[in-house]
Amino acid sequence: MLEQIRLCGFGGQGVVLAGTLLGHAATSAGFRVAGANAYGAQARGGAAIAEVVIANAEIVFPHVITADLLVCYSQTGYDRFAAEVGGTHPRIFYDSLLVKPAPAGETVAQFGIPATDEALRQLGGKQAANIILLAAAVARTALIGRLHLATAIAEHGGARFRETNLKALDIGFRLGAAAAPEPGPA
Amino acid sequence: MSGHEPAIMPPGNYYLTGNEALAEGAIAAGCRFYAGYPITPSSEIMERMAARLDEIDGGVFMQMEDEIASICAVIGAVWAGARGMTATSGPGFSLMQEAIGYAAITETPLVIADIQRAGPGTGQATKVGGGDLMQAKWGSHGDYTPIAMCPWSVQEMYDLTIRAFNLAETWRVPVFVMGEEAVGHLKEGLTVDAPPAVINHREEKGATPFGHELPDGVPPMPAFGEGEKLLITGSTHDHRGFRKTDDPAVQAQLTGRINDKIMNHRDEIVDTEAHAVDDADIVVVACGFTARSVLYAIETLRTEGLKVGLLRLKTIWPFPDDIIRTVCGSGRKILVPEMNRGQMAGEVMKYAGGDVIPLNRTDGRIIHPHLIMETIRGIA
Repeated sequence: MLEQIRLCGFGGQGVVLAGTLLGHAATSAGFRVAGANAYGAQARGGAAIAEVVIANAEIVFPHVITADLLVCYSQTGYDRFAAEVGGTHPRIFYDSLLVKPAPAGETVAQFGIPATDEALRQLGGKQAANIILLAAAVARTALIGRLHLATAIAEHGGARFRETNLKALDIGFRLGAAAAPEPGPA
Repeated sequence: MSGHEPAIMPPGNYYLTGNEALAEGAIAAGCRFYAGYPITPSSEIMERMAARLDEIDGGVFMQMEDEIASICAVIGAVWAGARGMTATSGPGFSLMQEAIGYAAITETPLVIADIQRAGPGTGQATKVGGGDLMQAKWGSHGDYTPIAMCPWSVQEMYDLTIRAFNLAETWRVPVFVMGEEAVGHLKEGLTVDAPPAVINHREEKGATPFGHELPDGVPPMPAFGEGEKLLITGSTHDHRGFRKTDDPAVQAQLTGRINDKIMNHRDEIVDTEAHAVDDADIVVVACGFTARSVLYAIETLRTEGLKVGLLRLKTIWPFPDDIIRTVCGSGRKILVPEMNRGQMAGEVMKYAGGDVIPLNRTDGRIIHPHLIMETIRGIA
């Protein structure tokens, strides 16, 4: 098993944090994990990319070569990376408020998740949308157990946001479990 | 310096950056003194050492005014009995070079992490490079022989830093951990086992600190405050440490010994790893992050029937001349990919019998497995 995951969005959305939490969760679940981030010098607004490779054997090359799973927090990120998603189970999860997707292809399963909408509605702010979208992707793909992600949030997320992030985890898991892939072109 | 926290990370699996792992390796190896000046992409080492040394009994952390002061503070701390290190990147490594020569001639065991970025000059502060390999060997003036490690993973940033301290103490020599930005900022699993074996420099009451006639050429080393009379100078000195700047015999003996003590024992120091080289028509010689791209590439190309192998240098200095002679013999093609303009390739050419083909990248990006595969298919 080798999962290559790319998370992309803008600086300030918590893309790098989402990747880091996923890495911690997969590590505590007993997987081999490698992660790399790319982001601009500016604190907010530039492109932010987090890569996480999860495997049950030694990871030879630690960067994503072909993403199986794209978690997309911005239109720019979607436009740049959606076409590159491949592998045996290609899947895209995107924030349905922020991304207008291309029609789903025949091979790529595509899921729109109202992460920012639900964060605004249920948590009173959009900060935890990163966790909602990540949790939805993790739940729908059964990548790792929910407990491991909860532990990662509790131990490695900011203490100030812990409660909100754990609520976001619940919201994301519910949305992910209920998510159905968009129909591909006829 | 509260001393309430355990000094070494408890055994377990962690997910952290290479720079953080390097700092933890230093702590595990007994490093209790850090002086530094922050610079991208090495700053996480300094951050981690600041936090960790504050928790540890006897730990001392100093932020200095620049890199020259940083390495000089480390040299002083080591002579006061501490185990010390500093970390930097290319521009800071350049500033440290004079004092590296001082550490070499005074036989001061210390560790410097150089997390390489794209140079020269200030270059690309946040981008990867591998252009400090020759600087590690030849950066200071005069003849000296340092030891340099090339970790390729977060695990090795930990493990090879522990080894760096042990080598520094064993041979009384500066040791460099030549990580690249791509390894320093890589996040990966780190497995911490039981506390590692820690080697201390030899101590011998009343022995002269610069020229003991032991077969390995490494004199015992006292520290200030232990009751020995100590005189330490960067000028040519005799076995007691007395300046002898007019004496050709003393100069010849000193420079001979501080180089020979490493070169005569390079079998114990050099560390390489061979992957699928036995039947290989093409051998790729690589170190650091690039070697991971190579390993991925050769595993893929083997499935296509191409006979390719990897010789990975875990230590680059002293250079593994004998191993290159053996593995890179005539009739083989030798590909040397590196994130510089051919620093290691030149060294490989000195000892390889086969045709050496450099593959260089200096645009601040890693050498991707696809580029290595494409190159190998082109020369196969």
